Amino acid sequence: MNKTPSFKDIFLKNAVIFNPVLIQLAGLCPVVAASTSLKSSAMLSAVAFAELIAVSVIASALLKKLPRWVRVPLYFVIGLALICPALWYVETQTLTVLSMSMKIFIPLIAINSVVAVHCEQFAVKNDVKTAFFSSAAAGIGASLVFVTAGALREIIGSSSIGGIELNLPVAFKGMTLPFGCLILLGFMSAVLKTFIGKKYPEYFGVHSSVAAKPGDELPEKEDIPAQQPDEASLPAEEKIPDSVSEEDIKIKTEEEIEEFFKSLGLDFEEKGDEG
Amino acid sequence: MKALTELFIVAFYTVFVQNLVLSSGLGISEAIRVSAKPGTFGRIAVMISGFSVVTGTLCGLIDMIPAVSGISFAMRGLIYGGVLAAVFALVAVIAKFIFGASDKFLSTLGIAALNTLVFAVPHINNHAAYSLAGSVGSGIGAGAAFVLAALLINKGSQLLKENEDIPEVFRGTPAMLFYVAMISLAFAGFSDTNIFG
Repeated sequence: MNKTPSFKDIFLKNAVIFNPVLIQLAGLCPVVAASTSLKSSAMLSAVAFAELIAVSVIASALLKKLPRWVRVPLYFVIGLALICPALWYVETQTLTVLSMSMKIFIPLIAINSVVAVHCEQFAVKNDVKTAFFSSAAAGIGASLVFVTAGALREIIGSSSIGGIELNLPVAFKGMTLPFGCLILLGFMSAVLKTFIGKKYPEYFGVHSSVAAKPGDELPEKEDIPAQQPDEASLPAEEKIPDSVSEEDIKIKTEEEIEEFFKSLGLDFEEKGDEG
Repeated sequence: MKALTELFIVAFYTVFVQNLVLSSGLGISEAIRVSAKPGTFGRIAVMISGFSVVTGTLCGLIDMIPAVSGISFAMRGLIYGGVLAAVFALVAVIAKFIFGASDKFLSTLGIAALNTLVFAVPHINNHAAYSLAGSVGSGIGAGAAFVLAALLINKGSQLLKENEDIPEVFRGTPAMLFYVAMISLAFAGFSDTNIFG
């Protein structure tokens, strides 16, 4: 029954169904505190995207055998070593003018919880290629949230988009404050939940359970679902059958949800809205 | 006496007026995650305060070096991050090899030390030009702000879980985000922020 997940599967799970920001509530700090405009959110998401891919690949290639308490600070150090020199170059060698909040918050991206959560959940359990694709998908999912939130906050809060005045009759300045962003993220999360409920109803319970009882720690390595073995490497009797029944698919997705909750340190018994 | 007064004023300001977690969004992901286990609040608050005080103070001392005072924000971030990583590594090694701490404890230590809240404290101290006493107050306040936020989120998540009237599509993560937004709005009021203009 095992098979290598396709790129579509990886993208769908990492970017949409288990979106780092809207589902796992990771990386809220940069989006809440600094994504107040389209420009700033685009800049933050580009930095976060590049850092997530780079750290995930390095973690997958080099850090698998280290204990978790050593790995997590290394993600931070690697992130800093990548981000700060790049920011220094932009700051001193180009004509780009960065706002004060960008100068402070871009280094803070190095300690972004999206990186630590994703590396611990996926990168250190998978090969480099899968880690690259999964981190790219998670990065795209997080970046879309960053940019959408930044653009909407700028439109509603400052009556402009990308610095261009829109001259709207009302500007709600509160939208540029953290609480405004959290309200926006709440609506975005509800929209995503509705989308998942319609397109992928088997994953609908994920939203409710994650927020009802969030895990307090990063997932233990032992709890994380490993990359499934390649079909060619399986014994003959374990080869993937030509046809897969509907019941097989249902069981598979339930197992995936259970694995996801285990990876977050949650109790699967509490899944679903009725739980 | 003056230093002590400054320490308390800065700590009070950091917790109640400009709550670093709820008003500034620093460490908010960790606060939501930690809020599920009230038993760990005290321990994590002490750890966050300890790391914030030590890192903030060391970074404050480094900032007094004339060669460092005028450097770019990027290099400042690198130095502050290096100090935080070194402080964490030192504490973790001592805890592991001298006190025989478990891996689970060290993971909790990592969560308390390596988050945006603790990393932001030296930047805030530098930006606000706090004295040494102010830096200590800022660090203590960061830990207290975190535990206050986690307590409020914990209480709210219990109430949300029991509330059957929430429409299904808003249950769970959306409701949690709205709830945290409401607490954040309350703290925006404490800081006399104009939200309509």
